[in-house]
Amino acid sequence: MKRVAYYKGCLASLSAKELDISTQALSPKVGLELVELETVTCCGAGDIHEAEPDYYLHLNARILAYAEATGSDTLMTVCNVCTLNLRQANFQLQGDERLLERVNENLAKVGVPEYRGTVDVRHFLWMVAEGEGYDLLKAAAHKGLKGLKIAPFYGCQILRPSKLLGFEDPDRPSSLERIIEACGGEAIDYPAKIKCCGFPIIQAREETALGELIQPIEQAKEAGADAIVTPCPLCHLSLDAWQSKLKKQTGKDFQMPILHLSQLIGVAAGFHEAELRFKRHVVSVEPMLDKLSV
Amino acid sequence: MQVGLKIWRYDSTTGDRALKEYEVDAPEEATLLDCLDIVKDRLDGSLAYRKSCRMMICGSCGMRMDGGAVLACKVRMYDMASAGHAPVISAMGNLPIVKDLVVDMEPFWQKFKAMKPWLQPGYDQPPADEEHVISQERMNVIHKESLCINCGCCVSECNSMESDPEFLGPQALAKGMRFVGDPRDAAKTERLDQYSAEHGIWDCTRCYFCNERCPKGVDPRDAIAKLGAEAMKAGIDEDMGAKHAKWFVHSAKTTGWLRETELVPKTQGIVSSIKEMKFAMGLAVKGKVPPPFPPHVAEGVKESRALFELVKEQGVDGALGIVQGERALSRLEHEVGHAAGGGGDTGVGSRDQADVSPGEEPTRKRGGE
Repeated sequence: MKRVAYYKGCLASLSAKELDISTQALSPKVGLELVELETVTCCGAGDIHEAEPDYYLHLNARILAYAEATGSDTLMTVCNVCTLNLRQANFQLQGDERLLERVNENLAKVGVPEYRGTVDVRHFLWMVAEGEGYDLLKAAAHKGLKGLKIAPFYGCQILRPSKLLGFEDPDRPSSLERIIEACGGEAIDYPAKIKCCGFPIIQAREETALGELIQPIEQAKEAGADAIVTPCPLCHLSLDAWQSKLKKQTGKDFQMPILHLSQLIGVAAGFHEAELRFKRHVVSVEPMLDKLSV
Repeated sequence: MQVGLKIWRYDSTTGDRALKEYEVDAPEEATLLDCLDIVKDRLDGSLAYRKSCRMMICGSCGMRMDGGAVLACKVRMYDMASAGHAPVISAMGNLPIVKDLVVDMEPFWQKFKAMKPWLQPGYDQPPADEEHVISQERMNVIHKESLCINCGCCVSECNSMESDPEFLGPQALAKGMRFVGDPRDAAKTERLDQYSAEHGIWDCTRCYFCNERCPKGVDPRDAIAKLGAEAMKAGIDEDMGAKHAKWFVHSAKTTGWLRETELVPKTQGIVSSIKEMKFAMGLAVKGKVPPPFPPHVAEGVKESRALFELVKEQGVDGALGIVQGERALSRLEHEVGHAAGGGGDTGVGSRDQADVSPGEEPTRKRGGE
């Protein structure tokens, strides 16, 4: 068992609870012992980085400090945006002694433990896409996804900027494909799998965002996908919940089921609704599950 | 070495389009541009592409290699040729194609000019026989933005611009930051006002393709974030994008977690939110709209609030908050051609960082040690 500090972030704590529930259920089967961080806050997304960048750095330093205090060398995330924000802050602190010193002085003043820079921020996807996690995943996914065509959707901030993420080639990633295949499904290839879902501007610039959102859904549909899987709850929310707006705008009713990565593996591992919580999705996952049970 | 290329040929006058394969014998140190020159000299004189300096400073030879924008004069072909990979070469995206690899840069220049990319001096004249001296620290704020060579690689895959062609885009906005952050410029407020309008700062979808593609380490997305930070610091925060960002700050210091349900009215205003009620109800029945009361409060929210008050006093605000982290990040390199990637196209581009880090010695180029 690998003991990791678990940072679930805002969405998995609230509107995407199904992501937290399925991740917690799956983790022991893929060799992960999750130590939940109770006292931490939002990472600020790109928003606090833009509105109050110094506060962004301190908020993330605080999360990293509490992760370090668990004694684990890994802070595991389940969201692309959290991953980029925390990794960016971490590299800034690890690579600049003077900056780390200033931030630590501030953390000390408000009673936060010192951050020594020993934590590595890793997304759940990376924990199960290679090494021991991958071997355990293959064993856990005994029920398989036979006959299902799954479209991987990476989202942006787990690939780019690659100097801060760096797990795989940002233009030709393959981790989700490897996992889909290890689960017994067929991975669909389509150009928009590395593009943006539009979520960061879905409230401020809805029309522009919908122009981005339609691409992966339409392309996955054309390629015959039974579902899309994503490692990011923000991508999940826009792909799942905003499909109704695409229908209103374009007249196209895609009815494309969207799965969190932990849910997809969970299905292959034979999990039930109690661990998967598909009832919390806006677009029904039933057609995909029906096809699997035939 | 033998270099294979698959080049998308296109003629805008006829609409003819074809993917043609070429193979050339090139020296081992050849760049993509060198190979195109060989194609043009020896195989097909009708191939059209732009070039000038051949040393990554004029910004003429931006084009796509395997779908991603590169400067042709920067990409060495040795690794790809050794792996037997023949890359697909095509014109940059988000700009109309004139012929083959040549795009019409006019829409790009229009956005560039809209930024008023010249200094509007507002500093006091120095005494006679003295220079107007600005500290290195203050110039570091726009160090990266100053490296831009207007090649258009950042625009090529910009996801917001694909959806909204009027979006000013990463190049123009990075150029805008180059002047907003310049202590000699007197038009900062007017600029921030202008850049905050529709199709400006808040159109950016944060896809980070611009940072990934820039061959000079400008990191345009970071420049856009700096503009956002400067605009909000100056109180130019009426755009929905700015309100959205402000609600995150408010959430972090009041409950610690994002107050999702209140985000829509706080961003769009009450009237728009009421129009969204039907949509919101559809989400609410699925548990996607967490009740705002009682709020979900993080245990450590007192620390989070105290941190906010503390850093506010220290004045590392606006763009400075982002600039302070650049020193450490400039030492990191972009990950390229990961072995696990499919297709065997290793060594695509050498998208390393800026030639010079702020206030530091020039970094060594990859392979140049």
